Amino acid sequence: MISLPDYNAMNDADFRHTVRSFVEENYPDIPRHALSRLHWEEVKPWYLILSKHGWICPTWPREHGGMGLTAGKHLILIEEFERYGCARVNDIGPVMLGPLFLKYGTGAQKAFFLPKILSGEHIWAQGYSEPGAGSDLAAVRCEAVLDGGEWVINGQKTWTTLGMDANWIFILVRTDKTVRKQAGISFLLVPMDAPGVTIRNIENLELEAEFCEVFFDDVRVPADHILGEINQGWTAAKALLGHERVFIGAPRLSASAMSRLKRIALRAGVWDDPVFRDRYVALHCDVLDLTDLFEIYVDKLRGGEDIGADVAMLKIFQSELYQRISELMMEVAEEDSGLRHPPEGDRQLHAAATYLSARPTTIFGGSTEIMRNVLAKAVLNLPS
Amino acid sequence: MSEPDTEDWQENARMIVDSARAVVPADGTLSRVRKARFHGSGFDREVMRQAADLGWILMRVEEDAGGLGLGMRETCALMEVLGGGLVPGPILSSLMAAALLQDALPEAALTGVAVIVTAWQDRIGAQDWCGGASGGRLQGRKYNVPGAADADFFAVVTGDGVAVVPRGAEGLTVTSEETLDGGRTGLLTFDGVEAELLPCERVEQVLQDARLAHSAYLLGLSERALTITLDYLRVRKQFDKPIGSFQSLQHRATEMKIRLELARAAISATARRFDTGADERTRSRDAARCKLRAGKLAMLVAREAVQMHGAMGITDEADIGLFVRKAMSEANLFGGPRQQRASLAALLDQEDAA
Ligand SMILES: Cc1cc2nc3c(=O)[nH]c(=O)nc-3n(C[C@H](O)[C@H](O)[C@H](O)COP(=O)(O)OP(=O)(O)OC[C@H]3O[C@@H](n4cnc5c(N)ncnc54)[C@H](O)[C@@H]3O)c2cc1C
Repeated sequence: MISLPDYNAMNDADFRHTVRSFVEENYPDIPRHALSRLHWEEVKPWYLILSKHGWICPTWPREHGGMGLTAGKHLILIEEFERYGCARVNDIGPVMLGPLFLKYGTGAQKAFFLPKILSGEHIWAQGYSEPGAGSDLAAVRCEAVLDGGEWVINGQKTWTTLGMDANWIFILVRTDKTVRKQAGISFLLVPMDAPGVTIRNIENLELEAEFCEVFFDDVRVPADHILGEINQGWTAAKALLGHERVFIGAPRLSASAMSRLKRIALRAGVWDDPVFRDRYVALHCDVLDLTDLFEIYVDKLRGGEDIGADVAMLKIFQSELYQRISELMMEVAEEDSGLRHPPEGDRQLHAAATYLSARPTTIFGGSTEIMRNVLAKAVLNLPS
Repeated sequence: MSEPDTEDWQENARMIVDSARAVVPADGTLSRVRKARFHGSGFDREVMRQAADLGWILMRVEEDAGGLGLGMRETCALMEVLGGGLVPGPILSSLMAAALLQDALPEAALTGVAVIVTAWQDRIGAQDWCGGASGGRLQGRKYNVPGAADADFFAVVTGDGVAVVPRGAEGLTVTSEETLDGGRTGLLTFDGVEAELLPCERVEQVLQDARLAHSAYLLGLSERALTITLDYLRVRKQFDKPIGSFQSLQHRATEMKIRLELARAAISATARRFDTGADERTRSRDAARCKLRAGKLAMLVAREAVQMHGAMGITDEADIGLFVRKAMSEANLFGGPRQQRASLAALLDQEDAA
């Protein structure tokens, strides 16, 4: 195992500097500041470099091969990666599944699966959603029954991000139809090359195959390919949302969109136009205020406090702000708003790309409407 | 243009809308639209031939010049249907060319053998059209020419008159770029192109008409996108209920409906005023506000339609995406909101001065 310095002992400024130099020295010759996800073949060099240096799983404890970063330090790392425009790796294993293994996995599972996430041998996809189970995730119908020491799985998952790049998928399946919806769900681990697994790519609005459908037709996996107890999958599935939502609420996306908006406005000759300025300043204040709100949550993370349902406010405001910025971009781009490719070959000037990339942010990870329902009930205590 | 009485225009509009069914399938399939995307010229020549056959190109050509002499009410009725069907062809641009040229429209364009489109815009982000000629020759650039990738003729609008220029004219360079909807937008560069510049008094008027007609197109597009979305709200179930039963979505759907009806009211009242004679100030004001309203509407409906479709709205295979991409491609044509507001603001001052 690689021996890493104790990053948590560093002060924030030193750690930031360390991350910055790391990225500058190690980032491979692959795209930066990409608005859409890169596929495994393209992003693999970066994954492997991070892996080699022991940096691929920043939040995992050091004894399991992670960096053991506190939430506060992790945030700095994310900020620096984003500042440089590092491509997002296939991070479902490091970000989502790893922590779940640590919390619910058996000793054997940890020993088998964690090293393979660290090395990049296993690339995971998240199989929660189904055609009939989106916002209402507990409605999953894909089912699994035990038969001779094996799970037999039948059904379908969909919207699986980068599922075509993955060699493993974790899925929520129905294992008991006789109980309350949430109480009959289990969390299974399935190799994508198991007989009976097929995928169909789905082209998104950007005309890229970034997600896919995954079909399970009498797929058999050993009985121990389950995370946690039978029928306890719902608890595991919901376990890590709070922490994640702080990061989704980070003002970075909006802040960098503002700098693109400025460039588009300069090109269109409206940067000095008072009408434009009025709107720009309003958005600018939104970004600054969001940043302050965000800092409150970051402080909570730093102090090891639990994150409550109120963090939904961050996610809602950030994703809608990002969309509002992208909509102003479209107006400012005037007749060029309809171009499929970046004007002058400069992606920063491409309003439509930001507009499209901003669309899913209010849908995945809990749609804005669902987040607002949560806020209304859990935070405002309004009646049902 | 003569003043047609109410029954006349309604009957004409009905016939035109019926004829549009030949091109816009009544069952609403968009397979033709999908087929024409992202290859070749990005439009379907067969559509343009049909448009000529059905007389659409000649709608705004006066009867004594061999046209149909129809009004803006009929034109808007047609454009609305075309918007709802996302018909892949530069029909409005051809119709403009004919309206500008009147009896000077090339024979081949009249019969639909050849496609003619209008090149008028001097630059992105402004409605200027007076450039493009110098010393009796064509010189300079024209932006945003729809269908340029395959059109046979261009009606080139300049301050010194309108010229018909064949695609192969010496000194003319045509380049084009892909648009989000799968079509292409052209840039014409003239380097001393020889052409006969026909005097034309009606350029500004034709542009106002086009701004209004394009608003009607966006209205049709928005209405169909809203219909598709409402249908989805009725059939898509989550939490054992149609998602359309959730009040937060209901309220936003009603907001779209209100915006849509405002656009429809503004467009039909404007078309009536255009047909029955409106002064110059009213014409430019109303064309601008219709365009402002319709462009905003299309982008509102696009945004909400995607959101209300959930992940389905992020796919290319769902038809709603075709409307979203079309709205993104066309909402700013004939000027985005900033341009319309600026010209409306300028008119405000005129009113104060008067
Ligand atoms: C780009 C992208 C990537 C994704 N990646 C993955 C992945 O890797 N793995 C995975 O499992 N899933 C993934 N998803 C799926 C995502 O989790 C779902 O899209 C999300 O849960 C919403 O479900 P849905 O798309 O079925 O929309 P629906 O639930 O059908 O919602 C449609 C609309 O109705 C609204 N609505 C629903 N219920 C209510 C209510 N009670 N009150 C008010 N409004 C309501 C929604 O907010 C939305 O606007 C991805 C989605 C996207 C867009």
